Amino acid sequence: MITCGLDLGAGTTKGVLLEDGQRLLATGLAPTRGNPVEAGRRVLERMVEEVNVLPDEVEYLCTTGGARYAYPDRHLQVSDITASGRGAVFLFPGTRHVVDIGSQSSRAMSVSETGRVVRFKMNEKCAAGAGRFVDRCAKYLQVPLDEMAPKALAAAHPKMISSVCAVLAETEIINNVADEVPLGDILMGVFLSLAQRAYILMRNVGIQPEVTLVGGLVRSEAMVRALGQTAKVAVNADSRAHHAAAIGAALLGHSRLQKLGHRPVALSAVEV
Amino acid sequence: MTLVAGVDIGSTTAKCILIENGEIVGKSLAPVGVELVKDAERALSQALTESGRERREVTVVTGTGYGRFKVAFGQFTVTEIGCHAKGAHFLFPGTRVVLDIGGQDTKAIKVDPRGEVVDFAMNDKCAAGTGRFLDVCAGALGYDVSEIGALSLGARHPVKVTNTCTVFAESEVTSYVARGKDPKDILAGLYGGIVSRSLSLMQRVGVEPEVTFTGGVSKNEGMVRTLEHRLVLKINVSPLSQYVGAIGAALYGLERVGGIPA
Repeated sequence: MITCGLDLGAGTTKGVLLEDGQRLLATGLAPTRGNPVEAGRRVLERMVEEVNVLPDEVEYLCTTGGARYAYPDRHLQVSDITASGRGAVFLFPGTRHVVDIGSQSSRAMSVSETGRVVRFKMNEKCAAGAGRFVDRCAKYLQVPLDEMAPKALAAAHPKMISSVCAVLAETEIINNVADEVPLGDILMGVFLSLAQRAYILMRNVGIQPEVTLVGGLVRSEAMVRALGQTAKVAVNADSRAHHAAAIGAALLGHSRLQKLGHRPVALSAVEV
Repeated sequence: MTLVAGVDIGSTTAKCILIENGEIVGKSLAPVGVELVKDAERALSQALTESGRERREVTVVTGTGYGRFKVAFGQFTVTEIGCHAKGAHFLFPGTRVVLDIGGQDTKAIKVDPRGEVVDFAMNDKCAAGTGRFLDVCAGALGYDVSEIGALSLGARHPVKVTNTCTVFAESEVTSYVARGKDPKDILAGLYGGIVSRSLSLMQRVGVEPEVTFTGGVSKNEGMVRTLEHRLVLKINVSPLSQYVGAIGAALYGLERVGGIPA
């Protein structure tokens, strides 16, 4: 039986197809661009095409993320905190602490061995410490996002950012450029500043190994290193962890489906 | 006759004021770049040119503002808090509270009847509620910050801007624009948010008339009206409100060299 998890985030929409609650069949990704419904449908369509199944073979769909209630064709919705905890433990069974850096918010949580969230702290009030900050830096430093990490990793003397505010940090970074601080040093400073903000949340929750990073920044090696250095722990990272919340949603969908004991309404006929 | 200069190097603009015999005789204002030392020099030379005076006539130069240590040619530096208090007292002797909203920070300053600082509260950690916030949000509306001043005055149904963070508020403005909201109503919502943040700073020092509004944001008429409305108080805004820090600096210098304070 195939379940789908859709994570309708502020920046990107992530999706996965999961078979029998165990095997990842497909992952998909699309920029949300203010339209989560369209982004979600596109992601689902592409995944269904990719694995070559009929749309109705996807028996159950569970949404998560900020726009989880906006997506109509769903059977269930779960909070992104619940979902990313489950997803992180699915990818790294030893996970006891999850750091999730999203585009508009960041959070740290401690989880049980089944992936149930025990405690969490989050920041959704301020762009410092959110992935959006990295996007903005990439834009005004004119470095493509995927080139940021290699350049940052080559930094000899990372330039720390003293401003906490993402907007004031911009001015500081521009001044650093004017002072001819090497680009790599500035970029590593950006990741370290993000790690510093995440570390504050992590400490508040209590850090317990293993630590797993989830969310889009997991694909950036510089972010993983910065977090490990700042929190002084080994950090699990896997590019699939960008989809951790979607995986968690698909898993929770699967267990709900099993409890149901009967075939749910076909997705094409779901009425909300 | 003592000619003194105050140079205020802010995060966004450099201001210079020349004072002689208790009168302002010259001024200049220009955006700052990355070479603050040169910006400071230019501020002074422009003020001198404007007033037809010579550099050698200036007895003392005092620097203030976040870049005050870049006023390399000055004799003294004073914090902008003291300068805003003194400058506001010079323009409006009845001032008891100064609200200064600059490019990158916001301060509420309580002053005594002589214009000395009694207490202050400031936000310099975060761009929320500062001139920078207005800049960014005006940009999201498709305006330059200098164009939006009176635009909100006819607002009927101000929107509620729920985000404090500048980055998130910018997205919120963009989404209001996309939903077809009137820019007037969006601006009125933004001013409401900034004023709320300013009031909480002012309440920390205690609100008491007269209130004098200084800094670049005080040039914005919509902000002035919103503040008056919320305070239920007429507030002082001078046409020289952007120069208050520089005025205060010039007066400090004058006192230090034993001149007659205004």
